[in-house]
Amino acid sequence: MNGRWRLALLALAALLLAPLIWSVASALPPFGAPEAAYGPAVNALLPGARNVSNMVAAVNFDVRGIDTLGEESMLLCAVVGAVVLLRGRRGEDRGDRAGRVPGRPIVERDDATILACRIAALLVLLFGAYVALHGTVTPGGGFQGGAIAASGLLLVYPGEDYSCWRALVPGTVLTVIEGAGALIFVLAAALPLAGGHAALANILPLGTWKDLYSGGVMVVVNFAVALAVVGGFGLLLIEFMEETRAPEEDPVPDEEDR
Amino acid sequence: MIWPVAVALAVAALSGLLVVLSRDPKRQVFALAANGLVLAVVFFLLRAPDVALSEIAVGSAITPFLFLVTLSAIAMNRTRS
Repeated sequence: MNGRWRLALLALAALLLAPLIWSVASALPPFGAPEAAYGPAVNALLPGARNVSNMVAAVNFDVRGIDTLGEESMLLCAVVGAVVLLRGRRGEDRGDRAGRVPGRPIVERDDATILACRIAALLVLLFGAYVALHGTVTPGGGFQGGAIAASGLLLVYPGEDYSCWRALVPGTVLTVIEGAGALIFVLAAALPLAGGHAALANILPLGTWKDLYSGGVMVVVNFAVALAVVGGFGLLLIEFMEETRAPEEDPVPDEEDR
Repeated sequence: MIWPVAVALAVAALSGLLVVLSRDPKRQVFALAANGLVLAVVFFLLRAPDVALSEIAVGSAITPFLFLVTLSAIAMNRTRS
């Protein structure tokens, strides 16, 4: 099929679909106008019921906490799958220098780059910790803080060289952090069951509104999510980076020859 | 309130188009990162700052990085075999 036919088919399809799309689009409610009943109900009830000021966290970690537990285990499974798939026969040992694409020039790092990266990496890590810790108070939370901290780990790389980055971002620690996060979340869900409460029931003292400790068990769950996310993302970064390490230490896979 | 959102949506559509139209994968990755930043602005204007934060971290830092690493791994493997 050549280009002209494709264009003709596209025009025909657009012509046929346009009235349908238009009728659906004009029947939509105006932009930004509708508000489901759920949002105002949450805004009205939860500050009093849970002493938190970030309603998104309240919904994620308490009202719909079990959903988040499912999402967390999904993240864990995805990271484990990616790590197993990428590690393959390479195993856990690590290279001490990065690989390079032949023919691509190696540009020396500028001092300014190193300085900027060191400052920015620290600031980003700090900001990630801040966003994660204030999950029940201000917008953000464990996932956002964890992802920001992981991008801070990434920023360490352009400031240092490969072996230094691998030494500064230890895979074992990230594995432990990831597992600990998932375990804490599961415990927070399961321990109330032992006391005869519902799973993930908020049995801790609720704390004060707009305080760093507010929301009871939400603080624990938020912390667990932050750990799991920074561990998972960090592991992914490492495993992807190891895919590019110096080829001498990485025997050419011979699966194709068999 | 509506005008900044409209402008941001238009820029988001434009930068999304750039991602699709650039043919070099490396340029595509950077266009994707830029698109992530624009989307973060859209989310922020629509009063979802938490979504904007995760979009910046995931959409314009970590995902483009994973793509870049994959591209260089492919380039290395291609010359090796």
